[in-house]
Amino acid sequence: MDNSIVMIAIAVLDICALVLMITSCVERHSGRKRWSKMTSDMELAENDRIFPLECDEILIGRHASADIRIQDMSVSRYHAMLNVSGGKWSVTDLNSKSGIYVNGRKVQNIRLYEGDVIVLGTRRLVFRRKELQR
Amino acid sequence: MIVMKSIRRCQHIITVFLSVFIIGTVILVLRINREAPFYMSHSENYELGMVYDRNGDVLFDGLGKGEYPDNHFIDVGNLIGDDKGQMENTLVAKNIDKLNNYSFSAGIVREGGKAAIYTTLDHSANRAVYNAYMGAKGCAVAYNYKTGEILVCTSLPNIDPTKGYGNIGNMESGTLISKAMYGTVPGSTQKVSTVISAMEIMGKEKLFSKKYSCQGFYINGTDGKIDCHNSYGHGEQNIQQAVENSCNPFFAQLVEDEDMSLEKIKDMYTKLGYAVSDGENDAEMKYIDINGIECERASTTLTDSADFSTQWGCIGQGETLASPVQLMMWQSAVANGTGKMTMPYLIERVTDVYGDETESSETNYSEQLFSSETAETVKQILLTNGENHYAYSIPGYNVAIKSGTAQVKDGAEENALLVGFVNDTANPIAFCVVLENKYSTPAVAENIVTTMLNNLCSN
Amino acid sequence: MSNPVSYFFSCLFVLAAHGTMLFSVFSNGKYSSVNDVVILAAAVIGLDLLYFIVMPFFRQKTYAVDFMLVLILNMSIIFQSCFGGVKLDVKHFVTCITALASCRAGYILCCDHRWIESKKKFIWAGIGILMVIILLFTGSRSMWIDLGFMTIQPSEFIKPLLILACATSVSEQQNKHQIWKFNIVYDNLIIFGITAVVLLFQWWCRDLGSIPTFGAIYASGFILRICYPKAKYSKKTLIIAGICVAVLGIVAIIVAPPYVKERIFVNIWDDTSGTGYQQSKALIGIAEGGWFGKGAGNGMLHDVFASESDIVFATICEEWGLLFALMMILMLLIMTAMPLINPPRSYYHGNICAGVCAAFTVQMALNIFGSCNMIPFTGVTLPFISEGGSSMVTSGFMIGMIVASQSPEFNQAVRSTGTTRTMNRG
Repeated sequence: MDNSIVMIAIAVLDICALVLMITSCVERHSGRKRWSKMTSDMELAENDRIFPLECDEILIGRHASADIRIQDMSVSRYHAMLNVSGGKWSVTDLNSKSGIYVNGRKVQNIRLYEGDVIVLGTRRLVFRRKELQR
Repeated sequence: MIVMKSIRRCQHIITVFLSVFIIGTVILVLRINREAPFYMSHSENYELGMVYDRNGDVLFDGLGKGEYPDNHFIDVGNLIGDDKGQMENTLVAKNIDKLNNYSFSAGIVREGGKAAIYTTLDHSANRAVYNAYMGAKGCAVAYNYKTGEILVCTSLPNIDPTKGYGNIGNMESGTLISKAMYGTVPGSTQKVSTVISAMEIMGKEKLFSKKYSCQGFYINGTDGKIDCHNSYGHGEQNIQQAVENSCNPFFAQLVEDEDMSLEKIKDMYTKLGYAVSDGENDAEMKYIDINGIECERASTTLTDSADFSTQWGCIGQGETLASPVQLMMWQSAVANGTGKMTMPYLIERVTDVYGDETESSETNYSEQLFSSETAETVKQILLTNGENHYAYSIPGYNVAIKSGTAQVKDGAEENALLVGFVNDTANPIAFCVVLENKYSTPAVAENIVTTMLNNLCSN
Repeated sequence: MSNPVSYFFSCLFVLAAHGTMLFSVFSNGKYSSVNDVVILAAAVIGLDLLYFIVMPFFRQKTYAVDFMLVLILNMSIIFQSCFGGVKLDVKHFVTCITALASCRAGYILCCDHRWIESKKKFIWAGIGILMVIILLFTGSRSMWIDLGFMTIQPSEFIKPLLILACATSVSEQQNKHQIWKFNIVYDNLIIFGITAVVLLFQWWCRDLGSIPTFGAIYASGFILRICYPKAKYSKKTLIIAGICVAVLGIVAIIVAPPYVKERIFVNIWDDTSGTGYQQSKALIGIAEGGWFGKGAGNGMLHDVFASESDIVFATICEEWGLLFALMMILMLLIMTAMPLINPPRSYYHGNICAGVCAAFTVQMALNIFGSCNMIPFTGVTLPFISEGGSSMVTSGFMIGMIVASQSPEFNQAVRSTGTTRTMNRG
């Protein structure tokens, strides 16, 4: 009975797990690139603040649990939801008190295009492409 | 990398589940690492270590490699026991996991394992006491009432476990148990408990003022006849004289006395550790734990103050039973002068497979059974008894002592009992000696005590 | 393929891991002829290679979880084939391949979360059908259907379905209805009802081991349903509620009547040939194995009933050592923890991952801690390691759902219109 072989087997197994975890990290990186490409690489910006859009349903609101939190009393707790499908972004009003205005027009649900301005209460968010700022 | 809040929430749940599981696994691993020797004691593969006496003499050889003289283990064979499963209430059987030459990291160590139990016993003293019985049956137990170390615990008939159990069918009854751990009829040694109870119930002044007369017998409240061993009677006596004379009628009258209500006696006996039955329901038997060995306490039946068997119960016959270890422990409560018993133990220390100490003994005391004043008074009564009656038969020791004669097998045999202690801070020994069927043997209980003390006490 | 280098190295190290294990079998194992080892090695390495060649044709975006799965499954084949002597366990080999196929099925079904979400009525119906099957075929004290050539445990199949049913998207939670004074999401009530019925069914079947698993799946789903999209319950409230539940549980155990306590805390060492037989044997096996084990096939536990399923952890400990068994557990944990490294892109997939993790960890805990006498022994299988077709297929399916969350599909533009319509109503 030789323990060293079991020890080697354990060590190789550990290295294998490590390699697979590194693989997963690499995949995260490429997954992010693919995501950017698929979602036209968009982001929301309010003056200097930039809100990244990293998943397909994004809640905007005053509540602490909202993905994009805007601490302003004119914004409802859950005000609007951004949604991406088939590479197209859209914004939906969630029965908010003050509603949402895209390019000055009050809307319930509308597809967003690059450069659109979304107004929630008194706050003004710009839907723009990431490269623009650089 | 930015993760949105919503997704992070899902990750939190995953983290919680994983961490709880990992904590559980860590606990599991620690537990396995710690308890593995215990698991191994249930396995068929094991390698046991040694049991030593206080001087390094071997009492049990788990390795089986040493050579020992014939009947080397016969004095403590049924106390130390072995791993064969024939004797269950023994030191080795109850502590087999501590004796295992195994650790989770090292596995089973076949060669050079250092797992051992170092006991408090004195093998040579046990041997001498065993020989002093001259083949008679009985048991002797002695311990240091300051520390609780059991020094002598021998029982006859006994067995040398290395010889196997081939003739188990022909063994005399009681061979495979250490009798000191099991109940026996205490005889007049029971009167110590009754004196303690009376002292607690009435107080010293009142008890010493009580005087009863003895004409060799006493007709009690229910017309039962309590005989005295002295058929001429002892006349009128106080408690000191009654103890010295071991006068049965005195104690029968004491139990009947209106100052000694049966309820109070029951309470006091229960406090002392008796399982007191009221004649209808059996009281639950409790055990004294001596390093895993179950040692019976005492039990008795008390129904009515004037009842024949209740009175005999308080005198030490009838349905009263007490284990020699329990009788010895009560002596420690008197000897300590505190009313607290010193708890006896057998294991001084335990070493694991690497020789590292894993367990060491410490002295423990029972709860307060009776007041220190009672202890002092009873101590004085017993010391006076020792001076007046045992100065010649147990020479050279300032012993407090109470004898007893127990009738067993419906009066066909009489057992001699001696319980007591040495009142000497250098040699704090409490003991109990039982010599069965005393008229059929040349052995004498007093000589056994003398041999024991000669071997244990350093003068 | 986006990352050929990491793909290559992953293949290499998975092969290396299996190779060293097989070498360990060869040098420490108990076998009558070397042929048995060669057959086992051929089967394992062959399956590895086949998988590595076939995988790229599926055009997935990520492979890490798949590698993890094939690593664990082939480890499992080696473990199971070595119990009591090296010989390829063909039945287990086939079930492992089935698990790989089932993983593909799980991936294909779940990769587009909007599609699977729109089919939730079918999922509910599926659970219902399975419960009817249980009602009709298993009877009140059994959990097995005997088909003659194999036995099926229908309650296993409810697990992935319940995970899917409990998973929710953000938009679904915004679809509220006013009932009296409360804003209520109908689905939450439906899921509660379904879970309650499932749990009652498990109680009725005396499949006590499944109850904590379903409970954990629902608990993770419940927290994700009420905590985020409704925001009614803050973290503090939840933590306090959790502590209260834990305290209540402890108090309940303390004040429970003695006969219940006896069921919960069985002293296995009092009855090592009766009720405590399996667990005491398992613990003795672990103790005898030590850190590095006795070598493949040299154990004694393979004679004990359910040594390859209920107390499989101990059997592996005995033959391979506690350290290796812990590594195996670590692999299972890493597989379910993959969403921590590569986070999913949608809330629905995140929910699925949490549910799968809950189901896996609870099953593992019940199996391992149960067989080691830390908690009551329920006879739950260890995912992927224990023998058993139903468990293997469902576990594979659940890992497929994790794979789906790692490489999701968002490009089905045609289907997105349906979702938009729902949104308008909300």
